[in-house]
Amino acid sequence: MKSISILALVLALVPAVAGDSAYYLRLATLALIYMAWTVAFNLIFGHTKQLFLCLNALAGTAGYVAVVLAKDAGLSPWLTVPIGAAAAAGLGALFSYVSVRRGLGVIFLGIVTLAFSLIFHNLVLGLRQYTNGETGLVTRGLGLPLLEQPVPAYYVFLGVLLAALLTYHLLMRSKSGMAFRALSDDELTAQLSGIDVTRYKVLAAAVASAILGLAGALYAFYNGIVSPSVFSFVGIDIPVLIALLLGGMRTRLGPVLGAAAFTLIEEMVRPWGQLNVLVYGVLLIVLFTACREGLVPLATRAAAAFRGRRAPAAGSRRVQEAER
Amino acid sequence: MLLRVESLHAGYGATPVLREVSLEARAGEAIAVIGPNGAGKTTLLKSIAGMLRATRGRVHYEDRSLVGLRAFQVARLGLVYVPAERELFPTMTVLENLELGAYTRIATARKNLEYVLALFPRLAERARQLAGTLSGGEQQMLAIGRALMSGPKVLMLDEPSTGLAPKAVAELYRNLSRLKRAGLTIVVTEQQVPLALSLTDRAYVLEQGTIRLSGRSAELLGDPGIKRAYLGVA
Amino acid sequence: MTAILFDGVVQGLQLSLLAVGITLIYGLGGVLNLAHGQFAVVGGVAAALFLQFGLDPISSGFGGILSAGILGLVVDRTLLLPAYRYRGEERLLLGLILTLGFSFLVDGYLNWQVPEFSLSFRLPVPMVEIGGIPMRTASLAASAIALAVFAGLFAFLKLTLTGKSIRSIIENEAGAELCGIDPSRTRTLIIFLAAMMAGVAGVTQGLSSSLGTEMGPEFTILGLLVAVVGGVRSINGTLAAGILLGVVNAFASHYVGAYVAYIILLSFAMATILVRPTGLLARFT
Repeated sequence: MKSISILALVLALVPAVAGDSAYYLRLATLALIYMAWTVAFNLIFGHTKQLFLCLNALAGTAGYVAVVLAKDAGLSPWLTVPIGAAAAAGLGALFSYVSVRRGLGVIFLGIVTLAFSLIFHNLVLGLRQYTNGETGLVTRGLGLPLLEQPVPAYYVFLGVLLAALLTYHLLMRSKSGMAFRALSDDELTAQLSGIDVTRYKVLAAAVASAILGLAGALYAFYNGIVSPSVFSFVGIDIPVLIALLLGGMRTRLGPVLGAAAFTLIEEMVRPWGQLNVLVYGVLLIVLFTACREGLVPLATRAAAAFRGRRAPAAGSRRVQEAER
Repeated sequence: MLLRVESLHAGYGATPVLREVSLEARAGEAIAVIGPNGAGKTTLLKSIAGMLRATRGRVHYEDRSLVGLRAFQVARLGLVYVPAERELFPTMTVLENLELGAYTRIATARKNLEYVLALFPRLAERARQLAGTLSGGEQQMLAIGRALMSGPKVLMLDEPSTGLAPKAVAELYRNLSRLKRAGLTIVVTEQQVPLALSLTDRAYVLEQGTIRLSGRSAELLGDPGIKRAYLGVA
Repeated sequence: MTAILFDGVVQGLQLSLLAVGITLIYGLGGVLNLAHGQFAVVGGVAAALFLQFGLDPISSGFGGILSAGILGLVVDRTLLLPAYRYRGEERLLLGLILTLGFSFLVDGYLNWQVPEFSLSFRLPVPMVEIGGIPMRTASLAASAIALAVFAGLFAFLKLTLTGKSIRSIIENEAGAELCGIDPSRTRTLIIFLAAMMAGVAGVTQGLSSSLGTEMGPEFTILGLLVAVVGGVRSINGTLAAGILLGVVNAFASHYVGAYVAYIILLSFAMATILVRPTGLLARFT
């Protein structure tokens, strides 16, 4: 809790530091959005080992639902954004439920969600009458003036991030948190110990998808335009995966640090243009082979060593070489 | 001494199973490892065969150390293991299964095939049948036949009588007898104690991961402790 | 009607070439290769380079295919080493991410170095009539090559001892080891073959239409969909699934449009995983 408060304070001061630069403020705001998304992914993948490769589709569904309802049905965004988030939560919960019921392994769930991500993309392109296809829809002036100005928008998303972190904190502190820890260690044992694996996985997926959807829907309005490229796989799933790996899975502030680090890297690579994809590739490979723990555990251990305490054992998930 | 295991420690991950296990087998001998469920018999054979890495101890085969070798390397040296699950190739024919058994000794494959088919005529009848469609006893025969295809020096069998009808078990042990007489060194683990003891020269009793007793099989058959513990149940 | 059917079969065969490679690598290596499409693209790019250096089309094609195979070898012996230290799901996950990263690497590099690239072979006789139906010779040639490759693969797997050892590892790796078969050596061989098959797909794509450097991910996804529907452990099923999905895609594209067609294919894959993960067609073949 203390760390979250400190974080909130630090982040709240950013607009003052960014000064008049609309560019840097926008960068910071986007970073906040990715941080929230990464917190969500930490719940789904980090804690309950569900490989959802459809983050863009979940956020995008919320986004498009919120925007289209606001545009075509004239509903207020104050209503449509929660509806969008709920839709995302429902979808996420559904995928989770079906995959647990059918006993899908990590890989098959990954393929199913990847397929969903592609279906989403093609649905958006195909349902032109609602979504305006590739060109997209303008989202300015639909009723959320707060998001149309840089500084208020920043604080809105800071609020979203803090809400996400708080939710995470409360979840992990509760019975669910214990269940998650048992789950990620050994699902079969957890099941045999009487933990309702289905319930906790679906819960994690639903909560995380709600966060994904909330941030996604608000993003759609903030961005001024919603189009397939706004919610692309390469634009959302890959950065979030990298951010989570960078920051450290199953840690509280890891997603935040990771997303911040990733934003920095993105900025450094920007002048290289198309090469950012190459950098993603290198990052994925390096992160997954060299330092699978991430920044936060590394920093924690460094700090502990600095203070002279014995560092906690590295939680490497390497399968024992005993069984070959 | 063809096979010698010294002070073997082995287990799965953080769970130790075997402690200070030692045994040996001379060329042409048949030895049995008997003991209750969970004693570690399978762990022992898997450690020797290279399917499981021992944490401590030595395994010598023909003056070579087997510790650290992978399962396929051990098989190539002439020590073949027939696990309780048999690990056949169900969608491949009997002939193909046998052929693969001779993968490392293609030169003698033809000769070994004739020998195996003569030993197990039932396999010859079912040569083109898919292995998955065979009965339990026939699958056991195929597993052993496949192991023999590489002309091994040592044959290790893990509870070969499991899941077999009494008649099939009797036939199995008759065949093992013939193999022993032909000079093959055999290591067999069993819960069916009388059979194992009647086939083998010497036996080891493995309980809770350690060797409690060992000696000539004939003597163990008459041991009152063994009788009480195992023959009453068998 | 028959023209659409023919197109579907041609495309389906190419998808099968990719899908069978993915199936083999999954079955033998326990890795889901998300960079498989890039093998095809690299094969095509290499073929184009050979053409540029003045080599005749046929040799260039072979050169491209061989290059794809070599890339596969390199990936197996370097990139995937960390994955091979694990087993089962850990290996799958690590392999998936590593190959995904590699896919981005190649994609980014190619689009940066040769963004205008396009490989296209021109045949002397563009159209030919068979049984009263006009067909593009390029498509016929592409299908013939694909079929020849498949015939070769099946013969290899069914008749040679090495081929049988490959099938045995896919079926039961533990059992294969007990026979003295070295899974990692065989695995390297199979990745080499699978990558070459992808190379064939890339080159024949240049034959039947044209190959661009951005097609890597699309190839991978389509190959993956076919592999899933056919059963990630069944080679026959994958071939059948490729033709089936190719035909479905051709008809759907024609009658309801490209987006819906794609959605139909994706739904096939999703349905397979949810209803019959071993593959819709795996047991019928």
